[in-house]
Amino acid sequence: MPPRVFTRVVALVALASFAGCASHSAQTTSGGSADKTIEIGIDLPVSGADASTGVPTRNGAVQAIEDANARGLPDGYTLKAYDLDDAPQGTHDPGQGAQNVRQFVSDPAVLAVIGPFNSNVGAAEIPITNDAGLVQISPATTNPGLTKGAAARKLRSSHPDVNTYFRVNATDDRVGATAAEFARTLGLSRAFVIDDDETYGKGIADIFAAVFASHGGTVLGREHLTKGQSDYKALLTKARALSPDVIFFGGTTSTGGGQLRRQMVDVGLGKLPFIGGDGIAEAAFVQAAGSAADGTYYIVAAPQTSKLPSAQRFIAAYRKRWGSDVGPYSANAYAATAIAIAAIRKALIASGGAFPSRAAVLANVRNTSGVATPLGTIRFDQNGDTTNPILTVYEVKAGKPVFVEQVSRKTS
Amino acid sequence: MDVFLQQVVNGLSLGAIYALIALGYTMVYGVVELINFAHGDVYTLGSFFSLAILAALGVSGELHGAALLGVVVVTVLAAMLLCGIVGVLIERLAYRRLRNAPRLAPLITAIGMSFILENVMQLWRGPSPVPFPPVIPNPGVTLGGVTVTTKEGLAIVLALGLMVALQLFIANSKLGKAMRATAQDREAAQLMGINVNTTIAATFLIGSALAGAAGFVSGVYYGTTWFFNGFQAGLKAFTAAVLGGIGNIAGAMLGGFSIGLIEAIATQYIPAGAQWSNVVVFSVLVLVLIFRPSGLLGEALPDKV
Repeated sequence: MPPRVFTRVVALVALASFAGCASHSAQTTSGGSADKTIEIGIDLPVSGADASTGVPTRNGAVQAIEDANARGLPDGYTLKAYDLDDAPQGTHDPGQGAQNVRQFVSDPAVLAVIGPFNSNVGAAEIPITNDAGLVQISPATTNPGLTKGAAARKLRSSHPDVNTYFRVNATDDRVGATAAEFARTLGLSRAFVIDDDETYGKGIADIFAAVFASHGGTVLGREHLTKGQSDYKALLTKARALSPDVIFFGGTTSTGGGQLRRQMVDVGLGKLPFIGGDGIAEAAFVQAAGSAADGTYYIVAAPQTSKLPSAQRFIAAYRKRWGSDVGPYSANAYAATAIAIAAIRKALIASGGAFPSRAAVLANVRNTSGVATPLGTIRFDQNGDTTNPILTVYEVKAGKPVFVEQVSRKTS
Repeated sequence: MDVFLQQVVNGLSLGAIYALIALGYTMVYGVVELINFAHGDVYTLGSFFSLAILAALGVSGELHGAALLGVVVVTVLAAMLLCGIVGVLIERLAYRRLRNAPRLAPLITAIGMSFILENVMQLWRGPSPVPFPPVIPNPGVTLGGVTVTTKEGLAIVLALGLMVALQLFIANSKLGKAMRATAQDREAAQLMGINVNTTIAATFLIGSALAGAAGFVSGVYYGTTWFFNGFQAGLKAFTAAVLGGIGNIAGAMLGGFSIGLIEAIATQYIPAGAQWSNVVVFSVLVLVLIFRPSGLLGEALPDKV
């Protein structure tokens, strides 16, 4: 290609992408305060490896917005889902999440954000929503450091004393602890702990190791996977030499959970139970692990929706609306969105029909009470975490997750 | 000691896959001095082709005896042929026109080809790891506490066999001679009546076919394949080619097996070794290059100006 033609092509591409940006911002700002449309930003991973759980989660949030519109808001306001994907490259991306949230912040019609799904994405987004005073409710991020302790204060870089990040799900300390206690009730005592070296995976693995040891178990060793690695045989051979009776994995399917389980069979560890967290609670894990998936236990930081009396109506409505069964986080997303909508509704009533401020919505979310959601009524503690986290233990049998038990770790 | 030997077996089978991929890097570099970054993705493509061929043959479970041998031979040959064709097409479409362009242009094109192949595979078989039918029965031979599974045996034997065949081909056949001549001095080769275009296309054909074989081996060996596998494996194989001396066939084999072994042994004997194995691999590479800048078996190419 001669240089001049090349320059022209580059110029054209640049122009086209500018035009794309321009048309997009025109479309989103048209829903500003003038025409009584309030937007709720939804940032979830809905493509690639994360889509299998991301899409049903997004559907739950969208359904809550549709239900609220059907019921009607004060003074003729309507709600609109401003729906962005943080996994356009096929796996959740903190950089993309941060960019999405910046778009929400710059759009004055956005009064609340639902999401993200992944802890490392949350860590990238909190400084931005904290700075803007925009309330964010996550259906699934489980890393404790997002809301608790010094780590959380560091993320709230602009206003360390103001929390804008809430979540309706249980956290890793509870997932890891439940996994460890559950392993001990199975009579397992020699664990080899592997994680994927990400915020989420390392978080649950750390807590699993600590609680497993404090309940009388022995942690034989600890290893971390490297991104993009596909050979785990050397690592598993090392584990086998220590004769463990359980392998705990902190990580997700996209960071190697399925392949790890499958290669356990090759090194002769196929009979051992394999325990993990929400990251492997998906069909893609069973697909990747194949027949080796059986004997896997995973702990989900959400209740099994079908076992909750409060969720029965939601389950039926979801199936009617989307033509498929609820995902593990659909009810959580619905609950998070319902809380945000209730807060907006309350702010609208207080403002007498004027466009509510983000500060008012934030304050209402913080003090939320009595909102009926599929998870029951939810209140937030001083950190922004739910006061009634419910976790579920599943076992994979014949390639299907089977409910084992529901654990409530109520704090107040 | 058993654990050490077991890790040697692990390392050799992993190294066999690296070595097969490294051959393609080293052949192409030797002849056209191009680092073909799309090569790792041709390897992944090989595993997806094998998957499609197995599905077409109606194979979904374990096979034994003659049926197993037949299916393995047919699948490997077909995957090699398909990957070879893809390699030739890549050369024809993406690299040939840039052969005399500044060196940066084909390099960037190679990275672009890599992205194209990755995305095509993602669209074809989805973004999640795809399971591979367990064609080969798992039990193997146990010798004094060390188990060599059939899959590991297959990986090592197939790799060694193909490498010996390649070495003989390059040393003795007419086309092999043409390749060596083209590698030494393209213009002089042309003056001697060698069809350089055909020779380079043949280089891509053979290199990509070997990657195709590696793709089959990896699919059987790991039981899964994933559109992104080629990135990491390609990087390691390229490292293997450099470690052994880029452009040198025996060097690529030595480099591949060395890197597989270093990874397995480092994982075993360093605390949190799975994480540090890459650091060890690349440290060894740096050390080797400091003391032998042209790699373990490489020689400074004497006839290149």
